[in-house]
Amino acid sequence: MRQQNWLEDLKKIVGVRNVLTDPMALLPYSYDGYTLVESTPRAVVLPQSRDEVAAVVKILARAEIPFLARGAGTSLSGGATALEGAVILHLSRMNHILEIDVENEVVVVEPGVVNVHITKAVEPYGYFYAPDPSSQQACTIGGNFAENSGGPHCLKYGVTVNHIVAAEVVTVDGDVVMLGNLAGEIDGPDWLGLLIGSEGTLVIATKLWLRLTKQPASSQTILALFDEVDEASRAVSAIVAAGIIPAALEMMDQLAIDAVERGPYPVGYPADLRAVLLIEVDGERHEVLETAREVEEILHSHRVREVRLARTSEEKTRWWANRKTAFGAMGLISPQYYVQDGVIPRSQLPEALARIAAIAKRYDIRIANVFHAGDGNLHPLLLYDGRDPQMVQRVIQAGSDILAVCVELGGSITGEHGVGIEKIEDMRRQFGEGDLKAQAAVKTAWDSEGLLNPGKLLPTAPRCHETGSGPVKRD
Amino acid sequence: MDTGQCVHCGLCLPSCPTYVETGLEGESPRGRIFLLQRLHDDPSMLNAVTTEYLDDCLDCRACEAVCPAHVPTGHLVEEWRAETPRRGAEGDSPALGGFRGLSRPLSFFLGSPKGLLWLQRLARWSQWPVLGPWITRLRFVPQPARYLVRGIPQKIPKTLSRYRTLPSLEGSRTPVLLFVGCVMDTIYADTNHHTEDLLALAGTDVVLPLEQRCCGALHMHGGDPAVTKSWAKENIQAFETSGASVIVVNAAGCGTTLKEYAALFDLADPWHARAQRFEAAVVDATVFLSQCSLPTLADSSDVHITVHDPCHLAHAQGIRQEPRTLLKRAGYALQEMAESDLCCGSAGIYNLTHPDMAKKLLDRKISHIPKTVAWVAAANPGCLMQIQSRLCEDPKGPGAVHPLDLVWNAYRQAGLIHPNPDGLVSR
Ligand SMILES: Cc1cc2nc3c(=O)[nH]c(=O)nc-3n(C[C@H](O)[C@H](O)[C@H](O)COP(=O)(O)OP(=O)(O)OC[C@H]3O[C@@H](n4cnc5c(N)ncnc54)[C@H](O)[C@@H]3O)c2cc1C
Ligand code: SF4
Ligand code: SF4
Repeated sequence: MRQQNWLEDLKKIVGVRNVLTDPMALLPYSYDGYTLVESTPRAVVLPQSRDEVAAVVKILARAEIPFLARGAGTSLSGGATALEGAVILHLSRMNHILEIDVENEVVVVEPGVVNVHITKAVEPYGYFYAPDPSSQQACTIGGNFAENSGGPHCLKYGVTVNHIVAAEVVTVDGDVVMLGNLAGEIDGPDWLGLLIGSEGTLVIATKLWLRLTKQPASSQTILALFDEVDEASRAVSAIVAAGIIPAALEMMDQLAIDAVERGPYPVGYPADLRAVLLIEVDGERHEVLETAREVEEILHSHRVREVRLARTSEEKTRWWANRKTAFGAMGLISPQYYVQDGVIPRSQLPEALARIAAIAKRYDIRIANVFHAGDGNLHPLLLYDGRDPQMVQRVIQAGSDILAVCVELGGSITGEHGVGIEKIEDMRRQFGEGDLKAQAAVKTAWDSEGLLNPGKLLPTAPRCHETGSGPVKRD
Repeated sequence: MDTGQCVHCGLCLPSCPTYVETGLEGESPRGRIFLLQRLHDDPSMLNAVTTEYLDDCLDCRACEAVCPAHVPTGHLVEEWRAETPRRGAEGDSPALGGFRGLSRPLSFFLGSPKGLLWLQRLARWSQWPVLGPWITRLRFVPQPARYLVRGIPQKIPKTLSRYRTLPSLEGSRTPVLLFVGCVMDTIYADTNHHTEDLLALAGTDVVLPLEQRCCGALHMHGGDPAVTKSWAKENIQAFETSGASVIVVNAAGCGTTLKEYAALFDLADPWHARAQRFEAAVVDATVFLSQCSLPTLADSSDVHITVHDPCHLAHAQGIRQEPRTLLKRAGYALQEMAESDLCCGSAGIYNLTHPDMAKKLLDRKISHIPKTVAWVAAANPGCLMQIQSRLCEDPKGPGAVHPLDLVWNAYRQAGLIHPNPDGLVSR
């Protein structure tokens, strides 16, 4: 039954001020960190509790109005952009850390809590929250849950799915379901594992139990400056081949270095540098010293120009801040950027980088590379100017070609940014008809009407890809 | 208006007080930039909601400090405000109208020593039992100010801090100019004296040109930059004739404005180069003093202090460590508060023009103050008044005070500074 006065009903649940319908209030929600598709939501609701979320969902489902959750809107694949006239549930006000349970090494949070705030809150107890996306100063745990986000330190510690032990979720019908348990044991089918990384298309998380990780006794951050990208990527393979598991192993190329050096945290890299590796090893003190020495040796056997060891924690923080602002710093060298996110086997790094360079040349665009080298997760940043519609098309095409390279080299089309709107068509590259059917069946099982975050992840509906100047507008 | 370099990454969101408080994308820096872009393309889109979102910006610069692409959101909103009067009624928010109502009395009170003396007198009288309530009801005193008045020190000096003859130190080098400000010159005149005493203790000569003016920050934020510009010229002149090499400022808001004087003038205008030289000479007092060799005092760990980082110190000038360094050196024990660098809601006269949002931010700030501290140190008069206006409700609880007052007090008690007839730090 279609219900007409759903807006009035929503206002009764969350209060008039927490339902936005003014076009200018909705406009800022028309995209997230992915700016190639723009689409304004039908309304935005700001619930403040699980019960409000459940009630809102019930009203919308009854009125057959599609909806989706939004955290900080840092998604890079359009995950938080409302398509098909969907209503956004903005969870920014559900941002409380509910409990720090040191005994069980678990922290209980609402979905709108900012990732880095968790680490800050548990630091005094000697813990940290391991998954650290480069967007951690802004992105929320709800978004991390949906995207199964990773970060530099996930090389050693694992990604989000390894750190959520339990979740309370609201289904499309507005039912509240508890999944997982404090012990983090899996009994029966791993429903929680299925939901983490489902890109907000199956449920809305309203409360999360996160595993805390003990701070390592000691750590060492190492910068390796290279004159050749090739040598830097070979050094990466050699480090991993030597059986070393660094806490993090990151790489930036010349264009990326140029951008971050103009940003708020310059490190003072020489201007003619071709590549830099940022390596962190952690553990017991003697172990760290030993591993750092091994890493240094490997670097020196790969024609490194200079190796720097962080001497103070300020220095270490600055090196990381420099790296973590890389995407945003693209704004300093280009009006817009489009970040790709593909995975390749580590051994293929030199080959993949060479092919990306060729693609840049073919489409006459600039591509900067910043990536989690340790796990082969590439982030080519395709620079463009949205006012040039032809360039936008070239960039989209080049992005797609890069993904083709990833699949060809035996990798995958998304490392951590998700499929969202962006890669929905590329799913066909990665998966066969049968795989996609099975995935669609899962979606139908949770959301038979297709109301939750429509137009994302699964290439089921036909795609209307209008092209125009600047971002592609969708209703 | 170039808002082009915003890449919509969203990294600025949690640093923005209005976003943190409301949770609305439109009340975030990214949202504001987006709205400004759209308004730029199509000014007819302006409506009440847009005006409210843009106008709620505190110009606290927290977003600018963290933005990887250096998008000057606070400045861009300020620019937009400066254009607003011309847009007339349809684009006017109650808040901006509020500022325009205040602009004239502010120009009088802040614009000359005569006006400042009146301001000081009124502030002093406002603390008297019968006269006080009457004064705060004068026509030009905005209603929220009645509340704010409670935040000013109980003992307000009788004369401007600039009227003080300072002895010249033996064998000292080029003097520094102490920028006395307006509110600092009147209500917080003691803090200015304390700053002078500390500079003297550090072996520095101080000059106080009588011709100096208010920095003009309030007019700048309120969209009336012409006033700021004329006062800037007077300040530049005062500096040039003073013979000083450094301009020491103890109010974060003034420091930020002074450091941005050059942007007031066209590149072709000869004043531009003069303003640049002026800017380069401006140093915050906590930075200047922390680089001097003030003696280290023994820990008096029984007095706990928490530091509030004023926006215009932490975000606009990147100064966070220096006030803490000075306090520790003077023997105080620090106890950090959460969100120490989130705006307290003062933001120039924001607390007068946007009482609701200002109150929410103040509530938040107060809730973060550790229970065990004796003082909240804040190196900016606006923050002091705002925070104290609430702290005064609990006479046994902590008070808000300038860090230099605390530092001065410690050195005085150690017998290194000789008692000032004006007395101690007043609460
Ligand atoms: C500069 C920059 C750097 C980045 N670096 C990394 C990185 O290193 N690693 C990485 O993995 N990602 C990275 N990202 C991508 C992005 O930050 C992550 O995907 C993040 O998890 C998104 O969180 P969010 O709160 O912004 O979610 P949003 O963007 O608001 O939403 C993302 C998706 O999550 C869904 N969602 C949000 N909350 C919930 C909820 N409570 N329940 C169910 N679904 C929900 C939304 O519907 C949407 O589909 C980066 C982004 C930027 C801009
Ligand atoms: S203003 Fe800066 S930090 Fe904020 S979204 Fe834009 S580029 Fe990112
Ligand atoms: S200046 Fe302050 S209030 Fe304004 S957008 Fe930036 S962070 Fe928000």
